[in-house]
Amino acid sequence: MSDYPENSETSSNPENLSGSLIENPVGNLIQVKDATKKYRLGHNEVEVLHGINLEISEGEFVSIMGQSGSGKTTLMNIIGMLDRPTDGSILIKDIDITKKSQKELVDFRRRTVGFVFQQFHLIPSLTAYENVALPLVFAGDKDDGAVKGALERVGLAHRMNHKPVELSGGEQQRVAIARAVVMKPKILLADEPTGALDANTGSMIISLLKSLAGEMTVIMVTHNRELAEHSDRIVYLKDGNVAE
Amino acid sequence: MRLHTLVLKDISRRKTKLGLAVLSVVVAAAAIVAVVTTFSAATEGLYEESNQFGANIIVRPEVTNIPLVEGSTSIGSLSTGENYIEESEIPKIHTIQNNSNLAVVAPRLYGVAKLGDSNVVVMGVDPEKEKTLKPWWKVQGRWMAANTSENSEKPEVMVGSDIAGPLGLKEGTPITLSQGNISVEAQVAGVIESTGGNEDGYVILPLAASQYLLSKEGKVSSLEVRALCNDCPVEEISRQIEEVFPGLEARSMSQIVETEMAVVEHTESSAMAVSIITLLVSTLTVASTMLASVNEKLKEIGIMRAVGASDRQVVSMLLFEGAIIGIIGGGIGFAIGTAASAIAAPMLVSVSPPTMWEILPGVAGICIVTGMIASIIPAKRALGVDPAEVLRSV
Repeated sequence: MSDYPENSETSSNPENLSGSLIENPVGNLIQVKDATKKYRLGHNEVEVLHGINLEISEGEFVSIMGQSGSGKTTLMNIIGMLDRPTDGSILIKDIDITKKSQKELVDFRRRTVGFVFQQFHLIPSLTAYENVALPLVFAGDKDDGAVKGALERVGLAHRMNHKPVELSGGEQQRVAIARAVVMKPKILLADEPTGALDANTGSMIISLLKSLAGEMTVIMVTHNRELAEHSDRIVYLKDGNVAE
Repeated sequence: MRLHTLVLKDISRRKTKLGLAVLSVVVAAAAIVAVVTTFSAATEGLYEESNQFGANIIVRPEVTNIPLVEGSTSIGSLSTGENYIEESEIPKIHTIQNNSNLAVVAPRLYGVAKLGDSNVVVMGVDPEKEKTLKPWWKVQGRWMAANTSENSEKPEVMVGSDIAGPLGLKEGTPITLSQGNISVEAQVAGVIESTGGNEDGYVILPLAASQYLLSKEGKVSSLEVRALCNDCPVEEISRQIEEVFPGLEARSMSQIVETEMAVVEHTESSAMAVSIITLLVSTLTVASTMLASVNEKLKEIGIMRAVGASDRQVVSMLLFEGAIIGIIGGGIGFAIGTAASAIAAPMLVSVSPPTMWEILPGVAGICIVTGMIASIIPAKRALGVDPAEVLRSV
């Protein structure tokens, strides 16, 4: 887990990056600076995030809570580089990712961020093993036991040849978590990871995420305050602003 | 696991839906293969047929026809010019540039003689060369022997079927041909079965005997030349012969073949046009099927992009899928087209075409390119997938 940024071809030499280096004396992994996000809905423009500032340390487990439409998922997508802020900057380990080209961003994201979604989002035609191997395939990396290791980490090595339809909801989410961590990213983003699970299974997933924190920064979006209290810190969003 | 493994697994999962795309490629490929196979066989058949004509160049004295007009009324024409070729000049034909293409040069002498009370057309030939030139002649009896010193007193002749019956001629029948005061005693060696050609009405005898009979020693009426090749420049050879023999005209018989070829080519062009239209429709069908497929897979494409697939990888996967559809369709289409041609060609063009394995790579290539071109629009659609948007909406 200490291989950041050495395992990233794009990020191995910060001087080659189009993102600019910004001084970060505290050593935060993620810095969100004055981030705004506007969407156009027909003729109207809707501002979902209003100049958000947020800093998250390396290895921290942070929950983001808020009502529907408060901007939680938008903020997570921006941190995860699936989306770009309209204004402001996002720094990952002092590198401003908003300055990166789309191509650079794809490579940076695949090696820096893992995603876990509420609906698991596994590819139905692939086995658990193959689903977990997907990030390696796209990165062009060899599987030197990383896939099996990730499945063992989530306790599903014995189910690696099963397809998603043959797995329970909890097992599918654990496969999704294995897929998210197989590249050993610095950041794990989980959007309502227990939303489609029963309470017991949800608790098990939260325990799994908590066990991963420390090795990586875990950011979880949730509505469930009880689950959020397992994290190191809770960030509240209200109408696109941080109300910590 | 590699990118192509992902595609193959995906195709395997949706094989029923992609079957329509494959089917459209099959139809286009089968149409192309059937057209190419059938018309190639037809063309080859025509070439073989043209070889059966024997000679493909006829050399004869150039005759100028001068129209005779009385006032505004035509009263016929007057032919001028030498009507015979000196036999001693014939070897000059082998001095032309394309002399290696001259397989046979057969002299002919035509005239009319009396056979009993009937007038018959006699044709003097070199029996050996004629046999080479007309291998398909079926002779009841045997081919006449060459005119040698041994049989010069009583040469052998062959007669066409149209005169053999009425005149009661058959193998071994002695005949006397005469013209003016000259007569030649001969013996029928064989009767040529009907060919449908002029020879059905001829008495064919050795050249020397015919020259003696017709008082044309050292002269021939024409030369029949066989240029031995499928695509040799017959017109060019004709031109070279005319250069060597001023005053003679060398006419290519390829015009006959060309006329038939023109019909075949016209039909082939029409059939190929239909095939190309089928191919275009096929491209649209594949594109449409794949676009529908991409729309169904928006979530999966979004997931793949979220877990690290680049634009290039997404496009590569769709192009590979198109290529797979193309090659499967092309392979099946080749088999069906070949089978269809084997059934239809004997009825349409009276030939049995062989399997043209040599066009398989070309057909496969066209089908692969078709599949890949058809993937371009779906690929553009896939590139437009915003993973954040797609994953939020499901």
